[in-house]
Amino acid sequence: MAEATQQGLLDDYQVPAGCRDELIDENGEPRPHAGPLIATLERLGPEALAAAGRRRDRIFMEQGITFEVAGTDGERRDRPFPLDLVPRVLPAKEWTTIKRGLAQRIRALNAFVDDVYHAHEIVRAGVVPWSLVVSRPAFARPVHGVRPPGGVYCHVSGCDLVRGGDGRWRVLEDNVRTPSGISYVLENRVAMTRLMPELFAGHRVRPVDHYPGLLLDALRAVAPAVDADPTVVVWTPGPANSAYFEHAFIARQMGVELVEASDLVVRDAVCYMRTTAGLERVHSIYRRLDDDFIDPLEFRPDSLLGVPGLVRAYRAGTVAIANAIGTGVADDKAIYHYVPEMIRFYLSEEPILDNVPTYLLEDEATRNHVLARIDELVVKPTSESGGKGVFIGPHASVSECEAQALRIKAEPERWIAQELVHLSTVPTETADGGLAPRHVDLRPFAVFGDEIRIVPGGLTRVALREGSMVVNSSQGGGSKDTWVLDDGGAVDLVPGTLPTHRPPPRLPDVRYGGWRGQAQQQQQQRRQQALPAISTPSFPAGKTR
Amino acid sequence: MLARIAQELFWLGRDLARAEHTARMLDGVFHADVAGAAGERDIALSWAELLAIIGEKAPAPGAVDGDGADLEALAGQPLAARLLGRAEVASLLTLDTDSQASIVSCVARARERGRGLRDVMSTEMWEALNTFHLGLAGRDLSAALVSGPYSVYHDVKERCALFWGLVERTMLRDEGRSFLEAGGRIEAADMVLRMLRVAVPPSPKRSGSEGEALALLHAVGGFQAYRRAVREAPTVGPVARFLLYDSSYPGSVASSVATLHSALSNADALPRSSPPVLRLGRLLADLELQRRAPDLAAGFDETLERVQEDLELVDSDIEDRYFAMAAAAAVHL
Repeated sequence: MAEATQQGLLDDYQVPAGCRDELIDENGEPRPHAGPLIATLERLGPEALAAAGRRRDRIFMEQGITFEVAGTDGERRDRPFPLDLVPRVLPAKEWTTIKRGLAQRIRALNAFVDDVYHAHEIVRAGVVPWSLVVSRPAFARPVHGVRPPGGVYCHVSGCDLVRGGDGRWRVLEDNVRTPSGISYVLENRVAMTRLMPELFAGHRVRPVDHYPGLLLDALRAVAPAVDADPTVVVWTPGPANSAYFEHAFIARQMGVELVEASDLVVRDAVCYMRTTAGLERVHSIYRRLDDDFIDPLEFRPDSLLGVPGLVRAYRAGTVAIANAIGTGVADDKAIYHYVPEMIRFYLSEEPILDNVPTYLLEDEATRNHVLARIDELVVKPTSESGGKGVFIGPHASVSECEAQALRIKAEPERWIAQELVHLSTVPTETADGGLAPRHVDLRPFAVFGDEIRIVPGGLTRVALREGSMVVNSSQGGGSKDTWVLDDGGAVDLVPGTLPTHRPPPRLPDVRYGGWRGQAQQQQQQRRQQALPAISTPSFPAGKTR
Repeated sequence: MLARIAQELFWLGRDLARAEHTARMLDGVFHADVAGAAGERDIALSWAELLAIIGEKAPAPGAVDGDGADLEALAGQPLAARLLGRAEVASLLTLDTDSQASIVSCVARARERGRGLRDVMSTEMWEALNTFHLGLAGRDLSAALVSGPYSVYHDVKERCALFWGLVERTMLRDEGRSFLEAGGRIEAADMVLRMLRVAVPPSPKRSGSEGEALALLHAVGGFQAYRRAVREAPTVGPVARFLLYDSSYPGSVASSVATLHSALSNADALPRSSPPVLRLGRLLADLELQRRAPDLAAGFDETLERVQEDLELVDSDIEDRYFAMAAAAAVHL
């Protein structure tokens, strides 16, 4: 019976050539850290998985965890967010490397932003050309010379990591503007504990639900010094924004106000929100909209989403904005190439996480080399995000390759080329409840207040279509719960962390009472005295005094 | 009103409040058990503690239905023997009809009482109660517990909320309603106190890791209320204070005691000379005074114990003042 199920689950499991599967090894056996998980999945069988999938869709619809997709008829409708029920499992040791590598990278990016708006040391040292920095669309002149409290610019960051066929983790993209997805990390975990509690047996999974606390601490830590408690708000462009669910989620979890531009006002270089009790000072703003829109006086004058004068208040140091204005210069795709150099320059350390090999196309020799191999490479526009305009050589036709080559020749500085990474795979449920390998990436979320803290795991996005490497949810991608194990590979499992066992205090007995209880007890006693046979009362008789 | 009816309404309220709190605590412990908790653990809230809170005996290891060994007897044994699992405790406290502490038993008792109270309840209340009971009885709970206990506890919470909503909406604001409400509130206060006494260390630290205290909040359903009301991170100290003192949160002990006080004041013909009302008034003033004390670390366990003892006295005052007549009749049946 068990063997029959096992055959059904993993027999047809074919990892694509050149890729590494994170849970199943080359011989088709579960990797050691995933052993209990795979065993449980085999025991449950395809029916249980399919049934849990139906429960998941219903619960997500009820809770409003949905996203809009355009149907074939053009009508937009809500779909439950596609959470795959097979988690991705990372051993503690691997996570430690990722965590250290990310913290290092974020420190360097933060130092770079500070440098760009102040001393330009990295430019003077000849590491990054100044012309490249100032030509970035996210370079923000209005904040030149402004240093936010603690010198922290990148309060919230989410870098995209991928894992190639050699098993090494690499950074694919940095994101230090307004990375989204953390709400799915938390909701996925809650959903998994409700839908598939059996899977957690045999694993000690590190929790993620302290993220809102970390974020709130960081936002308070960077607030300008005041006598009273600092007031923190989350600033959303409004319910029409595609990530509004996340904005509301974060505000609710932190217990702070979710504000829109019309709720904020700047008077004498101090930011306030309009409340029923008049204006209330705001100290720290977690904003979820781009620099371009935040202040019509300094950036786009046509922005209706902005607060006039906010940059003035920011410059005056009366309000902290997270992430700081102008951080986008650090996660530009043309700057990405220089991040390993930044780490060496600012921190005097060797990068722990590598870049994906990337070519800047302004140099003629490099450009010709790239153009010759264009059908093997990935070409991305700089200064774009969300997978817009990405060209994937191996998936393109000859004429598409030629068109892309022409675009590169016309404006070489607008493009970068990268080696194609064969994304690692993780077993993923198929429509019939079976398992098949699907490609994944990973976006861990870091919070930088007093220090850098990273929530274990992060958002694993998965391409649900066979063979596809596009993980964006707008293009058929889903997500997975990401487990970081406490498997003894980490140092922080010490006896002190086991649950405290105190002898329970002396509690009074829980009472059961009521008139009927008393009456029944009396009757029963009398009956027992009369007859030795025991009859069960229809409900338990209570203790009386 | 009739003493017998008042007593039954009072206990109906208690049974339902107990069912709801048991469901919330089971859900909270279950979630913490599965999802883990961050950092160092200063809070003891797991399956064995749950048994102590509810006042139920531990089942023998492995045997779900078997006769229970005493928790205190188990306490002397090595850790492994005491590690009662999810399977034993969750099913004992949820669906075991032999245990009078289980959710199904609480609901069955409440419904049985409701049958005898149909003249004082609205039809809608009775129907909500009856559907609640029938829904639990007709469902394969043991299968549901394995595949996803969340749905079971969600259902219980929702049904309880429906009942209390109908009380609010359809029941005459008379003496009966006051006794029903008083029962619900005294039980709610008692349950939260029991949980705090078992789970919170005798002298909670002000700072600490917040993971475990989240479990306390989830076990009462007060996470978001806490986030909005308190600015401190949810570590043990502030959370314990919140659950004991914060009168703006309806699930706190102080809030339950205040509602209990006003319910009894309404029900009593002479509240100014009524022992339970007077005692509750003093308890409320005490709570308010302690809330203002700068530091709760010193002797927090003693505070909890005192409040619970006071509530026990209130309970027996209520019994003496309102239900003594009925109790006397029960003896002669």
